[in-house]
Amino acid sequence: MRRLVRAAGVVALVAAGSVGGGTAQAADTNGLLRLAHLSPDTPAVDVYVDAVADPDAGITLEGVSYGAVSDYQDVPVGSYTVSMRQAGASPDTPPVLSTTVEVTGDTARTVAGVGLFADLGLAIIDDSLQTPPADQSRVRILAGASNAETIDVGIAGGPSVATGLAFADTSEYVDVPAGSTSLTVAAEGQAPAELPVDLAAGSVYSLVVLDADQGLRVEPVLDAAGAAVVPVGGVETGAGGTADTGPSASLVVLAAGSAAAVVAAGTRFRRRPGRHATHRP
Amino acid sequence: MSRPLRGQPADGAAHGPPGRHRAPRRDRVPRLRRAVAAVAVVAGTVALFAPSSDPAGPATTTAEPPAAVERTVLAGVDEQYLTSPEAARPVRVRLPSIGVDSTLVDLDVDGAGVLVPPTDFASAGWYSGGPAPGEVGPSVIAGHVDSYRGPAVFFRLGELAPGDDVLVDRADGTTVRFTVSGTERHPKDDFPTEEVYGPTALPVLRLITCGGEFDRDLRSYRDNVVVTTRLVG
Repeated sequence: MRRLVRAAGVVALVAAGSVGGGTAQAADTNGLLRLAHLSPDTPAVDVYVDAVADPDAGITLEGVSYGAVSDYQDVPVGSYTVSMRQAGASPDTPPVLSTTVEVTGDTARTVAGVGLFADLGLAIIDDSLQTPPADQSRVRILAGASNAETIDVGIAGGPSVATGLAFADTSEYVDVPAGSTSLTVAAEGQAPAELPVDLAAGSVYSLVVLDADQGLRVEPVLDAAGAAVVPVGGVETGAGGTADTGPSASLVVLAAGSAAAVVAAGTRFRRRPGRHATHRP
Repeated sequence: MSRPLRGQPADGAAHGPPGRHRAPRRDRVPRLRRAVAAVAVVAGTVALFAPSSDPAGPATTTAEPPAAVERTVLAGVDEQYLTSPEAARPVRVRLPSIGVDSTLVDLDVDGAGVLVPPTDFASAGWYSGGPAPGEVGPSVIAGHVDSYRGPAVFFRLGELAPGDDVLVDRADGTTVRFTVSGTERHPKDDFPTEEVYGPTALPVLRLITCGGEFDRDLRSYRDNVVVTTRLVG
């Protein structure tokens, strides 16, 4: 959580080595983890997240109650123990439940308490960080309503999102048209309910279906957001006025043969780090 | 923050047959701990459920976190249906370690879908088709490395080092702070679009300029330099 240090080495490598290409990869030093409480009759819990490799540091999420989905926690890659205790219970007591989850680089996972209390489990769910097609959003269903043994979910003008999805299960992601639209949730044996949702293009959502006082309710949770319109290719952010003497990345140009040009250019474009066009009046 | 629990039986914890996964019997929650977690949400849920009369049962696994010396405690995690809280639009970017302090213009894509750089070589621009800095998602600020005559606003972008501050002032008078996590260089003809503009689960800000060799025929640098930062606050 506090260790972002390893990136430094990689950057040094990039600066030194990468000549005109090679996709220098960022260090996969961190991944994302969040917690969800989707068990209708389970009391609020405190969730403990502990790195197996680093027992001296950890995260506690206090008072996580039914329907809650935490923010993502940005943690170093590795194995983590996720343990749930009744809210307020001493950390010294045995957990109600625990599991081990692997956090890998540049990925996001949700650890969810699912099912009824008598049969409570911890599900490890992979979250999508992939760009949906243009003008679309990506959605899936987390079935957390015990009032509905199975549900069918559809989106107005879009494909079926889930069919016969059982309580405590998670559907696959489906790409749907973005915008203000209407979600249809039909529990087995009940009249379907229409719910308005607002889905941003390029973003990824989990739609969490929960028990309500009567029937169901649906809460959209943002998994990840991307650019609504993804630009094509790179960007032209240079006119070449320092190309011969200019940014360190182009020093390779200073090869033999262009010495004369460099001398000529050098008199016109003196490179003086520290007083470039950064302080305009 | 707190919402009433809906659809949850008030005595949900107090009945039902003993299961394998039952919580160990806890008739009393330690008062001190509860007092420390002085958050309305926590207090509310504890009041409902603390006097649990559940029969004791074995935990499903024996994995026990070690006595935590240094824990990050996040209290009051309630129903956070964060559908991307919107941030005010960015108006200025400051990179103190390389002496950059620039107003921001809005950038958009052209008819071919390509990001149009700022017309002013001395000013950086924010891609307004993406998230605003501080919102969940990959926000992008681009600036020229040089003009036709000399250095431009992001001439020294490649000198940013991990941990350096990136400050973005917003229209509502607030400032959001990022720190540099890494710098990469990519050929424009192999630009990592998914990596730069694809969905992220946290607020990310990327700073982009040109780098590499300058192609005098195309009047274009071959590469883009992409500095990735992460939100600090």
